[in-house]
Amino acid sequence: MIWIIVKKELDAYFSSPLAYVLIGLFSLITGVIFFNLLVSYTDGIQAIPPALAEEKSFPEEVVYPLFTNLNFLFLVFIPLITMKLFSEEKRQETLDLYWLSPVTDTKIFLGKFFAALGLIIAMLLITGVFPLVIWGVGIRDFSLLGTSYLAVLLNAACYISLGLFCSSISSNQIVAGLLGILGIMFLWMVSWGGHLNSNYAVAEIFTYVGITSHFERVLRGLVGTQDLIYYGTFMFLMGFLTVKCLGRRNW
Amino acid sequence: MVNMDKILVVDQVTKEFPGRTAVSGVSFSVNKGSIHGFLGPNGAGKSTTLRMIAGLLVPTSGTISLLGAPVVADKLNHRNLIGLLPETPPLYPDMRVEAYLRFVAKLHRVSNVSESVDKVLEALTLTGVRHRLIGNLSKGYRQRVGLAQALVFDPPFLILDEPTNGLDPQTVVELREFIKKLSAQKTILFSSHVLPEVEQLCDQITIIHHGRIRASGDLREIHRRFRQGLVLRVGVLEHETLPDLSGLGKYEVTHEHVVGHERRFDLVFADDRDCRAELGRLIFDRGLHLLTMQVQSPELEDIFLHATETQS
Repeated sequence: MIWIIVKKELDAYFSSPLAYVLIGLFSLITGVIFFNLLVSYTDGIQAIPPALAEEKSFPEEVVYPLFTNLNFLFLVFIPLITMKLFSEEKRQETLDLYWLSPVTDTKIFLGKFFAALGLIIAMLLITGVFPLVIWGVGIRDFSLLGTSYLAVLLNAACYISLGLFCSSISSNQIVAGLLGILGIMFLWMVSWGGHLNSNYAVAEIFTYVGITSHFERVLRGLVGTQDLIYYGTFMFLMGFLTVKCLGRRNW
Repeated sequence: MVNMDKILVVDQVTKEFPGRTAVSGVSFSVNKGSIHGFLGPNGAGKSTTLRMIAGLLVPTSGTISLLGAPVVADKLNHRNLIGLLPETPPLYPDMRVEAYLRFVAKLHRVSNVSESVDKVLEALTLTGVRHRLIGNLSKGYRQRVGLAQALVFDPPFLILDEPTNGLDPQTVVELREFIKKLSAQKTILFSSHVLPEVEQLCDQITIIHHGRIRASGDLREIHRRFRQGLVLRVGVLEHETLPDLSGLGKYEVTHEHVVGHERRFDLVFADDRDCRAELGRLIFDRGLHLLTMQVQSPELEDIFLHATETQS
């Protein structure tokens, strides 16, 4: 049942220009970022003595900044994808179709969640040419590329669940999109609060609640249970709230 | 004991929203295999009631049972039993007709999707537009697609909320014929503002006003109930007027108008006694010219107005 909804949503993405525009724009921006990082790295290597060049870490100079920028791009791209998923259906009164069929609200949420994640994976697949380019220019250091992809995927999944919740509380796409952007920014700012607070315990709470510390740890290959619990809990909470919000029709 | 002749039983249903009561103590039932007309002015509580029956809203109190089992909004058991065509059909403009119907059929776990979709496309003469985007279809075709989604999983009970509203006359006639044919296999709860249409299609009606049921039951029985006395239309020459008829019984002239050279009077007598012969003689005796004498039976519109005006 979930797959039927995933397929319908993916068909809807790819039958409209939105998916192609987003994928194209995302590829262009990430391509430019990657090119600049790579040029700056290779220029840096050539500018310093060979003995010091080994100290310049490729992941630190290129991989981490690249994936941090990808995460930054999601601030706009993911709310653009998720904003219409429920709000548009509310406006067109098409949610009745689901509610008149033997499909639970949880399955509706999961169907839309995996469809949006599928589109994000399609966008990230384009960045798969970057390792080939790296290979082409003679760099063989691919360490931590896998966990970097895992980090952006986990973040994307959290943003999608947040975006779906925002879309479920408003029948106006623009409002849903803006709420999504604000929500993601809030997750980042909570992390910054951790850095600024002088009280250790409070700072730790801020750091844990914010998404950035978990992202950075997974990005660097330090995938811990507390990070996976954080991501899992966040997505579950957003799913739970979305399902509750959809169930509000019965009130 | 469950009465299996009644496919739907709505019992003392009330729905309250913050600050207002949409429907209050609504009770009526729908017989199996009938087309049941559901009438009421805008804001009467029609759509709220229909949405509660479809399980899209939870009643504040009261019960709704379909085929003997209670309809509970967050339970899934009744959802394959009801096909709903809401006033605004739930359509995706960016989907193609066939893909949309396949999607709905799959949501309802139809075993043979292709066969069901082909059947409903053919029945509603949608085969020619099966590959077209729904957003590019005319209103008539979109309404047909809306009806097709309510039928594609073959539910025994159909709710049609103003299905012919805003359609061109030809499509209205075609849809009406289709609905008539459907009633051989399904029970239909049919809401409409077009009263002659309801009269033409429905065996039973329910009239709702201000969230309360004003009349419900067999259409002929309701006709009888609302007919309070003999209603006659009498026509004389334009320059003539009716004599005093109080000798025939208590009466009232409800309407007077001129058509061509004829002046027509609508007379309502307090009792049902047929006094046409005496009335005719009286008119001739006064040297007047009787051009028309017709017994008027109350139309559904009169019943509707009576039910919604006098009790409001």
